Amino acid sequence: MPWDLDNDRPIYLQLMERIQQDIIAGVYKPGDKIPSVRDLALDAAVNPNTMQKALAELERNGLVYSQRTSGRFITEDEVMLKKMKMQLAKEHIQQFFEKMHQLGFRDEETLEMIQDALKGERQ
Amino acid sequence: MKPILECQGLTKKYGNFFALSNLNLTLERGQIIGLLGPNGSGKTTLIKLANGLLTPTDGHIIINSMSPGVETKKIISYLPERSYLNTHMRVEDILTYYVDFYENFNLSRATAMLKDLEIDTHARLRSLSKGTKEKVQLVLVMSRDADLYILDEPIGGVDPAARDYILQTILTNYTENATVLISTHLISDIENVLDSVVFLQYGQLVLNATVDEIRSQRGKSVDALFREVFRC
Amino acid sequence: MLGKLIKYDLKYGYKIILIVHAVLMVACIMGRFVLNKVDFRAPSEALGAMLAIFIALFALLIAGVSFATCAVIAVRFYRNLFTDEGYLTWTLPATPLEHLWSKIISGVIWYTFDILLCYLGLLILVTGDNVVSLYTQIAPEMTEALGMSFSSFTLYIVLFSLFSTLASVIMIYASITIGQLFPGHRILGAIISYFALSFIIQIFTLVCMLLFNLFPYVGDTMTGSTASHYLFSSLGLGVLLITITAIPEYFITHYIMKKKINLI
Repeated sequence: MPWDLDNDRPIYLQLMERIQQDIIAGVYKPGDKIPSVRDLALDAAVNPNTMQKALAELERNGLVYSQRTSGRFITEDEVMLKKMKMQLAKEHIQQFFEKMHQLGFRDEETLEMIQDALKGERQ
Repeated sequence: MKPILECQGLTKKYGNFFALSNLNLTLERGQIIGLLGPNGSGKTTLIKLANGLLTPTDGHIIINSMSPGVETKKIISYLPERSYLNTHMRVEDILTYYVDFYENFNLSRATAMLKDLEIDTHARLRSLSKGTKEKVQLVLVMSRDADLYILDEPIGGVDPAARDYILQTILTNYTENATVLISTHLISDIENVLDSVVFLQYGQLVLNATVDEIRSQRGKSVDALFREVFRC
Repeated sequence: MLGKLIKYDLKYGYKIILIVHAVLMVACIMGRFVLNKVDFRAPSEALGAMLAIFIALFALLIAGVSFATCAVIAVRFYRNLFTDEGYLTWTLPATPLEHLWSKIISGVIWYTFDILLCYLGLLILVTGDNVVSLYTQIAPEMTEALGMSFSSFTLYIVLFSLFSTLASVIMIYASITIGQLFPGHRILGAIISYFALSFIIQIFTLVCMLLFNLFPYVGDTMTGSTASHYLFSSLGLGVLLITITAIPEYFITHYIMKKKINLI
């Protein structure tokens, strides 16, 4: 099943996000070996060079590391993974607030609405 | 490493009409490249010149540092936009034909792919549907261990499932040193598998950039950019 | 490479060629059988008419078989090189020269096969006891009229035909190749080219015969030697001229194949 990709943003960025997502969702666990570039590219139905670039970027960020002969692995650095999780969470929150701004809500109002929503859920 | 294809001042004239006009272009190895442009922009002329099916009016086209000839035909695997097989032949006869003429034809790979596609090798080509014939041709072309694959409109008339299989086939079979040049007008379908795109218009180069360059610099897909440049 | 190309050229249409020649052979064997049943010693008008039809039928049959052979050679050349199939043919790792010679050699092979089988068929047809004994009666007259025995006469004709196969094949190919310079009217162009080339050769033959004084003098009685002399000199000249014209045809064909291929 080809991965769902947007049309207007660089493909390698989207591939990075998707892999990060998979790590958080537990598809890959810390220390897991990730499939080869070719297999991942086939799975995503994207160009292997682009997948290569995405993985190289992830490697640069320290999220994956490669062992010369045996391939690429997810980092076992829990702190790093937690940091990434926080980072992504922050981004989501930021996006959410931006959307609320566009709808004309001030931050305080938004916060109140969130609390109300949570209360509603608990009942 | 030497580029797989180089055009230097490449020009092809038909009467007074310039099908290609002073084209300078270099294609590197290990890439999947989209050759895009409206009808009559010179895509097919460029492809025919690369395959030695036409002779340039002026300039040069160089494949792996050679002019088109026997040696370049050995390393180019070409899928024309039309059905080029003798329809009286059986699929198995065509396989033998390819084995006879192309040293780099990988018979077991072809047989495996035909089996995947559930194509009967005893069948005569003429008894197959148009889409199946196209698949047979693609299998033949992709089963060669070529340096340059040139695919002219490979996904033109096929259904989405077949299109996915074709893209899979291309992705699976090309190797790190091989270049795949795909001419098409259905960009959105193949955009994700391309490294870069070459836009032609009126026989001239309009743009030669990687897909991610286009997306990050212009904030839009190649498809959208194409529609903008060639508003038709 | 040349060998492989020839193999596939011969593979194409071999069934048609074999079938039409098999039909010819069967017809000749049956004809021999029929001729052996006819009583030539009782000549009648009905017998004459029947024989005339019989001869005409066989002439038509042989012409038809030879035409079918020619057609297979021409169609193979055209389809393999100038239709969609050309996209595969021209991207094989072979030179235009190899393609041309593959087609020439395979064409000559079929042509020679056709001539030999037609000759063989005729031999089968006319060597029945009945015809042979009839011929023995008129043999001296025939030899007198032709200036040589009838069998050597036919053998000469066959040799002339065999000599001209190469040139005939090249002429067919040259016509088709020139025809493909007219996009949109390729087949028409080929047919016109063929007639134009034949016409040129005939004009040449005529001119040469006038120049070399090969026409029999008007008013002279035709003796055997003059008749065959006339026939063979004009035939020989024809073969010579078709061979000479085949040389530029060959080079033109090769040039177009090398530089001017333009598949639609």
